[in-house]
Amino acid sequence: MIVTPKIFARLVAIAILGVLLQLSFFSRVELFHTSPDILPPLVVSLGLLGGSLAGAVSGFSIGLLVDCLLVAPLGGSSLVLLSAGYLAGLFRERFEIHSSLVPPLLCMGLTLLAELGFALVQVMLGLDAPVSSLVVRDMLLKSIYAFFLGWPIYLALRRLLRPALVEEPKVRRRKQPTVLGA
Amino acid sequence: MYRKQVRRRRAVLTLLIIGSFVLLTITYGQSSGGLQRGVSTVFSPLQTVADRALKPARDLVGWFDKTFDARGENSRLKSELAKAREQSVAGQEALQENRQLRKLVALDRGPALAASAYEPVTGRVIARSPTVWQSTVTIDMGKDDGVRVDDPVVSGDGLVGRIASVEGGSSQAALITDHASAVSAKVVPGGVQGVTRPDVGNPEELILDFIQSSKDIHVGQAVVTAGWRAQGLASLFPPGLPIGEVISASIVEQEASQQVRLRPYADLANLDMVQVLTGGSPR
Repeated sequence: MIVTPKIFARLVAIAILGVLLQLSFFSRVELFHTSPDILPPLVVSLGLLGGSLAGAVSGFSIGLLVDCLLVAPLGGSSLVLLSAGYLAGLFRERFEIHSSLVPPLLCMGLTLLAELGFALVQVMLGLDAPVSSLVVRDMLLKSIYAFFLGWPIYLALRRLLRPALVEEPKVRRRKQPTVLGA
Repeated sequence: MYRKQVRRRRAVLTLLIIGSFVLLTITYGQSSGGLQRGVSTVFSPLQTVADRALKPARDLVGWFDKTFDARGENSRLKSELAKAREQSVAGQEALQENRQLRKLVALDRGPALAASAYEPVTGRVIARSPTVWQSTVTIDMGKDDGVRVDDPVVSGDGLVGRIASVEGGSSQAALITDHASAVSAKVVPGGVQGVTRPDVGNPEELILDFIQSSKDIHVGQAVVTAGWRAQGLASLFPPGLPIGEVISASIVEQEASQQVRLRPYADLANLDMVQVLTGGSPR
């Protein structure tokens, strides 16, 4: 990703908009008793588009902003989201994205990993309460929502950040030779 | 060139991970620092605008979710309504009797009415934490409105939580389903006392602990705040605030206690307007 001042401003705006949307909308609606979490898919999409460094930095920044706004111990969300962003970026650097299903599937998998990460951080911080089996259901549902939300988020970000993306030119399919123009 | 890039990438990643751990270590268990206060103050107006702008969309999603739920709840509510009618009649009689008895023993200004010392301030919920691990909401009222840390927060249905941190124009409330929450409570009628704590990951239920197995508790009984006061110490919550309804009571094997599960009266998932009871509890 080529980060010009204009692109940087767009990235900041995307991060702020994403966090505000999450805290004011997605965290406050429930579908089947679970609120969707758009922050892991957002970070994963940024990682997929910008690479591991962009994914890690955006994950760290978005996590820090969330922790600041929720007055939670700083660093917990950053640690989890930077890992998700980094892994997404690493995937993009190591493999080619052949299918359009790859971004939403990656969003789903890494959201599940991020939710496990959030749980680990809470245990690390001394969570002193019984954990019900519904947590597992919550994590699974969140990752399924991430699959459906990840696709539009990825497409929207690709459109917004298009000038900064280093994309390999598409290999044009050669026209098959025909006999007598048939 | 490529190696240099890889090295730089690894260095930044290591720096960010170390930074996260350092921040966690520094801020864990501390009150909100200057950075958090500053960011919160800057974003508070933005959150208020976002909250209002997104309310119709939230309501729409909520309508769909509630429609799914309503189908299953319909039959349960019908049977509950029949029970409630019976209880209502009995309750009216008890109320009448209670008024007469109060007059007799002059208990009108007794400890049960200590809640009147609180001054309710109404505010709007403008944000909510995204994980099931932290049950906190942000309210658009802060120090400037007289809100202080540990003030009780209620909704029209019952107890919601307490204020966990305050800034100038906004504050964070930890809900009763937050993992760090504990509220001294009693079952009514009967007055059996215990402590409500959350069932982490299940924000729709609470657990009432420390109840002797010999005490008789029935499904449908109400649980309210106990509001104790002893040796200069007092509960953060005034007595008599409704918390929830008993949905199951089972005796824990090999233990002299029973586990009572409650459903909170307040709809914690769809909080919109709340009241902070300010200036009441002595600290």
